[in-house]
Parts: sequence; structure tokens; C-alpha cells
Amino acid sequence: MEKPTVRKTEYKPQTYYDYSLLFITLILVCIGLVMVYSTSSYYAVKQKFGDAAYFFKRQLISAVIGAVVMIVISKIDYFFYIKGIGKKYKIRLLFLAYALCIGLQIYVLFFGEEVKGAKRWIKIPLLGTFQPSELTKICVILLVAYIVYAAPKRLDTVYGFIRVCIYVAPLLALVAAENLSTAIIIAGITFLVCFVVARRKGYFFVAGLLAAGLVAGYIFLGEAFRGERIDAWLNVETHPKGYQILQGLYAIASGGLWGKGLGQSMQKLGFIPESHNDMIFSVICEELGIVGALAIILLYVLLLWRLFVVAVNARDLFGSLICVGIMIHIAMQVLINIAVVTNTMPSTGIPLPFISYGGTSLVVLMAEMGIALSVSNRIEYER
Amino acid sequence: MRQITSKQRKTALLVICMLFAATLGLIGRLVYLMILHSEDYAVQAQELHERERSIKAARGIIFDRNGVVLADNKPVCTVSVIHSQITDPERVISVLCEVLELPEETVRKRVEKVSSIERIKANVDKETADYLRSFELDGVMVDEDYKRYYPFGTMASRVIGFTGGDNQGIIGLEVKYDSLLSGIPGKILTLTTAHGTEIPNAAENRQEPVAGNSLTVSLDVNIQRYAEQAAMKVLEAKNANHVSMILMNPQNGEIYAMANVPEFDLNAPYTLNEEYAAKATSSEVSPEEKNTLLNQMWRNPCISDTYEPGSTFKIITATAAFEFAKVSVTDRFYCPGYKIVEDRTIHCHKVGGHGSETFVDGIKNSCNPVFMEIGARVGIDGLYETFEKLGLMRKTGIDLPGEASSIMHKTENVKAVELATISFGQSFQITPMQLLSAVSTVINGGNEITPHFAMYAKNTEENTVKTYKYSGETGIVSEKTSETMKTLLEAVVHDGTGKRAYLPGFRIGGKTATSEKLPRSSNQYISSFLGFAPAENPQVIALVLIDEPEGIYYGGTIAAPVIAEVFDEVLPYLGIEPVYSEDELKLDGVGTFPMPALVGLTKGEAQKLLKAYEIGELYISGDGETVAEQFPEAGEEVKKNTALILHMK
Repeated sequence: MEKPTVRKTEYKPQTYYDYSLLFITLILVCIGLVMVYSTSSYYAVKQKFGDAAYFFKRQLISAVIGAVVMIVISKIDYFFYIKGIGKKYKIRLLFLAYALCIGLQIYVLFFGEEVKGAKRWIKIPLLGTFQPSELTKICVILLVAYIVYAAPKRLDTVYGFIRVCIYVAPLLALVAAENLSTAIIIAGITFLVCFVVARRKGYFFVAGLLAAGLVAGYIFLGEAFRGERIDAWLNVETHPKGYQILQGLYAIASGGLWGKGLGQSMQKLGFIPESHNDMIFSVICEELGIVGALAIILLYVLLLWRLFVVAVNARDLFGSLICVGIMIHIAMQVLINIAVVTNTMPSTGIPLPFISYGGTSLVVLMAEMGIALSVSNRIEYER
Repeated sequence: MRQITSKQRKTALLVICMLFAATLGLIGRLVYLMILHSEDYAVQAQELHERERSIKAARGIIFDRNGVVLADNKPVCTVSVIHSQITDPERVISVLCEVLELPEETVRKRVEKVSSIERIKANVDKETADYLRSFELDGVMVDEDYKRYYPFGTMASRVIGFTGGDNQGIIGLEVKYDSLLSGIPGKILTLTTAHGTEIPNAAENRQEPVAGNSLTVSLDVNIQRYAEQAAMKVLEAKNANHVSMILMNPQNGEIYAMANVPEFDLNAPYTLNEEYAAKATSSEVSPEEKNTLLNQMWRNPCISDTYEPGSTFKIITATAAFEFAKVSVTDRFYCPGYKIVEDRTIHCHKVGGHGSETFVDGIKNSCNPVFMEIGARVGIDGLYETFEKLGLMRKTGIDLPGEASSIMHKTENVKAVELATISFGQSFQITPMQLLSAVSTVINGGNEITPHFAMYAKNTEENTVKTYKYSGETGIVSEKTSETMKTLLEAVVHDGTGKRAYLPGFRIGGKTATSEKLPRSSNQYISSFLGFAPAENPQVIALVLIDEPEGIYYGGTIAAPVIAEVFDEVLPYLGIEPVYSEDELKLDGVGTFPMPALVGLTKGEAQKLLKAYEIGELYISGDGETVAEQFPEAGEEVKKNTALILHMK
């Protein structure tokens, strides 16, 4: 096994920092804060909280924590995560995180907080709830990037890909047990990162077809409630489970070109349940119109483009693959979220990155962006 | 240092291009949903957000013929609390308890209940509501509404009718003219949240209500009152079930009064009146029984109940005989007290018989054999032809709901016995209204009339929107027959069976009747009298029916005076002045005399002097010995039986 060269950090490169990436992220977070306030205030007053800004305040705290985490992480060399620590047994930080994630995923399966029939949350005193699957995603991105970076040539055969899959499999299986949509994203990240690296790609198409078949089989032949989701998707106007999506469609259709104006959504007034969560994009469409919705999509496109630029210019393959992984992660979440909201695919609970309400998701995403920024910070360029 | 290869870069570019392609696809989907296909879902969403709140339209007022309000709208208020807006629940509870006079427990429960809106009390009168408003309590809402109100309470209850909770007519004119009176309710379209809370300041789409048209009916409050008072008097005197009375203009069918006493209270139509409360089997009336009784109570016997008219129907038989020229007033008949028809002996009400008599005497005596004879002369075809023409075979078309049809034998089933009994008003049933309508045609010169109430309708701007016209055929009965019948019926009142309806100074025509109620073995009667005045040119026709009187039950004895009493008030009220004949002046003590001078006389002297005069009540005031003042004053020409007031000093 070829040992990767662990870079020494005493060498000071010429400072590059992808400010575009930083500001696009912050803009998205700010839009998210505004929209969370707009969508959640009615629900917040209506519920026991009685405080219109309840969700906004919590999201603001998460955003501030996230921003600090992002800046700090962006200044940490990403090779730190794969550096061996300890004196006798050199354990890489990444594998500690890997073990932690498996532990948390097992824990959540048994002791997790159950919300709407899914155990996805761990209750932490004072901080509220924490969703380990969010942390798992960042772990998978780093893990896959590291394994592939350590031996990129192995991916030229299908066995190399299977090897990567074996590393990811425990986490994937644990996540899939409670949260299929996150599992799909993890699988997507693994698959696409390997796809980028491999020099021979024939087996990917086979594997891709196989995965698609598996997912389809799971959806159509799986548990009863998965089948119901398909029914609801196909008969959104009549199926009782299609209620939330139908309300979202009402909101989207009410938006028109310019929207009803910020804060003027009708559908957020109890029609869309918890519109500050996964359905937030439908209210964005209603309030800001197609112009606002396209502007936000454009911000995501720019974000992805910056991640791509950092990826292709990174100093080393590890950094490149981290950025590719992050790019795929964010792209998949955005695409799946909008596809669900517009009833383009069956409903599944994926939040809109940076915008949907959810503390863990926001902090983890901003941490990811911190890692991407740290990759950008290592880019050497000539004047 | 391993770096990303150019091939890997190209693959990464391919991946991001795929992602962008997928994004483009979703943008296409958004454009489709938000621009191209937006109508469909957006309209559905709008419908989802809009709540329609209707605004009641004020119901049209019902006026009597002189513009007196018979049915009005009274503002009433509903007091509710909105839980989320209450700032001081204790004060709200105490004020509501005090002002609305409700037990604290009830109010507390409703105020403390977590709901969007909770009704505290409905039908709160406006003064109380205004007083409550003056407290300016947060979270207490006072909604104004209208409730139907009948200023005269029980008057003409079955004619006017009442309305239900949605302001819709239930019985009477209220239901007959419901669409005219009800107006068009307005609408407020508001936006609400999913929980039904209205969003303040949202653009309201308001559609104003259109108030109902007012209706003027031919009833006259004063005539109705005379009728009800007279009916009530005889009801109490004879302890009857009920007494019905109709007064109508026989020339055009305008009904002046339609009384059915005891009436019920239109402002509390779900409370049984004394007649029906007495019919309940026990003091605790079951809901079903109460419902049945209420439905009976709301019936209008004048139009919904049929009866055997009896002798009043002889007017119709006589009319048929004159029309077919089967009798003349001078024809002579012989009444032995009965008539044998086929194998049956049918008695006259006078057991010994009336002996030899002319047709005039026959009708004055209400002699059954005479009418059996002329009925037989006309024959069933002739009689039924006359019935048909006079509208006895169909409904009168009165503008009230629930009119009954007559019950008649089929022509082929009428044998001699049936023909004989039909001739004096038995073995078939008609409604009182049908009889009155038919007789009106006989005495008004032969013109068909439609009995009715509605005269015209006006909108809120006082513009007449509808004038009700009732056309009818003319010449149904010949002028000659009509004149003859009027003369004959006047004779009945003047010195026949109807003489107790005689009023000095007025020319009154009429006919009495005493109908046996079915089954005949029950020995229950309906005493009735049909009268009209002035006989030569009838301006008012009246029918009174006394249902199951106790004691003397002859129509001529108990029903005729009721009409006399009503006519005594109504005829002058209608502007028909008495004209006394010489005989009347002499016989009935009607006339004038100059008041003697009494001032200065002692009480004894005055009383002695007054014996020579026909004065009415004598009122003496003061405690002196001599008359200081008198009213009317000395020398004044006064009518006989005028009251005299003397002031002593």
C-alpha cells in the first residue's frame, strides 16, 4: 500500500482564500434567516412558544456558531484530519470520527428522539437536538476522499470501488435504516467521487444501473409506507398523504412572476405544515416569485461553480476530492429538495441547504464550507 | 504530491454539467408551475384562503292597508369572546355576569375555554349590548343582527306568520311572500389562515346585502282588532274551542280581517297558546307531541279546515234556482216539518213545520223542505254548474299557504237524498273562505273575486316594485239574481232567523247556520253567521264561525249578534253612516233631544227632572249639594243615551 505523503505545514504558501465562496455561503445563510423568520413566525405564535421570533432566534444562534466554526475550520489545514495522533498507535482523526459516527448512528437507532415516526435525533441537554446523520455526511465526504486519495489507481478496477464501498457500507446501512434520503445522498457522494477519479468508467455505468434498480426496487417493493409515497406522488391532488406537497404546489403556483412580496405568503399560515422546514422553497416561490426563486437557484449554481473551481485548482487530490464531495452533497440536496417541493419526485425529507430551519444541518454545512475554504486557502498560485 | 489529473478535471466538469442540467430541468418545472400552469393551482389556493361570511339582508316590513307596521325587524346582538384577545379575564367574567345576568360558572367556562371564538349569549337587546360596549373590554365582541318582531304580538298570527332562524318564512304571509320580503344577503370575502382566523387588513371583497321589499296588505289593524275582540268575547261567553272570523270587501276580495281566536304569539311562536296547551296530555309535553300541537296551532282554520256549511249555503242553492229560473220570490211552499225523499224522512229544524209560506218566508225561516224542493227543481247538474261558476269546486287562490280543497260528491253518486241534503248545505265540505268568496260573487253583482291580502310591494327607495292585480270574470251571476238575493238576505236579518244581526240605521243582509260537526252523533256544532252591509251595495262581508259552543248553539242566536257587534264598529269606521228610518227612530229610541238646564238644582231635583229624558250613564263628581256645572251643556242637541256629567258644589 502506497503511503500518502503527509504534508509539512511549515511551508507558507502565498495566501489564497476563496472569498466568493465565503460570501455566497453567507448570503445564502442570511436569505435563510429571513425566510425562516417569515415562514415560522405564524407557526411559532400559534404553537406553545408564543414568540414570533422563536425559530428565527434559534436559527440565528446556529448561524453564528456555524460562521465561527466555518472561519476556524477554514484556517485549519485539511491534512490535519488524516494526520496520525497519539504516540504509540498513530490513529488518524478521520477514523476516530468514523468510529464516532458509527457509534452515534447505532445510538440513535435505539435511543433517538422519535419525531413523526422516524428516530433521527439525539437529545443533548441545553443545546437541544442533534442529528448525527448530518455529521455522518461530512465524515463520509472526508473518508471517501481520503481512501481514494490514498490509492487512486485501485479505482481502475471494480474491486477498488467495492473496497471504498465496504468502508462506507456500515454508515450507509445505519443511516438508511431511518433516513433513506440521507442514505441516497451518501451513496451519491461515494459513487460520484469514485467516478471522477477512476480512469476506466465502464463498471460505473453497470453499478449505476444496479444502484438505480435497487433504489427503484426498494421504493416499489419495499415497506408499505414507501409505496404510499409513490401513490401520493402520482395522485398528489387526491391522496391524503399528498396534502403537504399539494399545499406547497398551491404556494408555488400563487407566486407568479414577482411573488406576493416578502412576508405576504398565505400558504405559510398553517396551510403548509412547518413551512420553515423542508417546504421552505415553496414559500420562497410564493413570496418572491419565480424571479426570487431563480435568484436563489443562481446563488447555488455559483456556489457549486466556486466549489468546482477550488476542486480543480486544489494543491492536491485530497483537497480536490473533498471539494468534489461537498459540491455533490450540496447539489444533491438542492436538487432533491426542489424536486420534492415541485412534486417532480416522491416526497422525502431533505432540507434546502443553508436556508431550511435546522441547527445541525446549518452548522455542519457551514463546517463543510469551512473545509472547502481551507482547501482554497492551500491553493498556490503564481502572479 | 498527487494532484488532480486533467482527465479527472474533465470528469468533474462532466459531473457539474450534469448537475446543472438537472437544475435547468427543475427550473423548467418551476416555470411550468409558476407561469404556464399557475392558474389551476393558484385559483384553488385562493379558494382555500377565502372564507365567505354572509351579511343578513334586512327583511321587508309588512304594513297594513293604512301603513301600520305588522312585521318589523328588531336589532338584536350576539355577545362572544375571543380567547386570544382577552387581557383581563376576571374583569370580563364579572362584567359579563352582571350585564347579561348569567351565572358566573357558565361565563367562566366559556371565557376560559381555549377556542378562537366562543358565543356567550345570543338575542341580547340593543340597549344591553350598547351598555356592554361602553365597558370597552378587550376580547369581547358584540355582533349586531336583526330579528323579526311583530308589534301586535298575537294579532292575525295565522295570517301574518313568522320566520325561522335563518329569517325564512315559516307560515302565513311570511312564507307566501318570502322571496319578496327576504332580500338578497350580502357577502364578505375574507382571507383566513388554515385555522380559520381572519387576517386583519386583508383586502376584503364585500358585496352589500339588498334589503327585502316591504309589503302592504289589505288587513286593517283596527278592523282586525274589532274582529278579534268580538270573537274573543263570544269564545269566552260560549266556552267554544275557537272562533274564526273573516271580514272582506266583497267587491274586490281585499280581506280586512281574518281572526282565529285564540291566536298565538308571533314573537314566541313555539309556545303553545291556551287552546293547545289545554290539549296536551300532561303538563310535561313530549317533543313529538309538542311538534304535532304546534303544527295544529299554526293552521289557519279559515282556509285549511273544511266544514259542512249548513244553512248559510242556502244562499248558493237559492242563487242557482234563480239563475235557472226554477223559483220566483212569490212561489208558495208548504212545510209540514219534514220532507220525505225516497225512503228517508228529512226534518226541518222547526219540528211542527212552517206551514204554508212563500219563498221569501222560506229563506227567512231557513226552511229545509223549501230548499230541498228548489234543489230538486234545479237538479244536481244545475247545482254543480253553479258551484263551479262560484268557485266552490276549486281553491279560492287566496295568497296564503295551505289552502284546502272542497270535498264534494261525484255527480254520478248524487241521488235524491244527497241532492236534498246538498240543497241545505250538508253532505259536502268547503272552507269558510270558499263560502265567503262564493257569496261575495252573488251579492256584488255577479263578479268573480279572488280573496287576497297583498296589495303592493315597495323597495327601500319607496318605489312600488309590484302592484298585485286580481282579475276575475264578470257576470257570473245575473244582476237580477244578485239584486234579488240581496233583498232576500236583508229580509233574513230584518225579520228572519238573522234578526239578531240587525243594527238600527244600517241595512244588513245575512244568513245564519248551525252545522252539525261530523260524526253527527257527537252533537257538536259550528254556529255561524254570514253578513254583509250595506245590503243594497255591499262594502263589507263577514263570516263568523263558533266552533263547539256550549249551551245554546243556534247560529241565529249566538253568531248573528257577534257580526252585529263588529258591524256596529266597522261600518262607521269604513265611513258608512247610519241612516235611520222613521220606524227605527220611533221603535229603537234613536234620536236627539235638547239637554235640559240642570245648573243650580239639587241632586234630587236633577235626577227627578232627568227621568223624563233618555240619558245614558250619569256621572256625578264633587261632594256639594247643588249642580255647579254640567256636560253636555244645557240646550245642546244630544243623542239619546248620551252620558251626562254633573259637577256638584
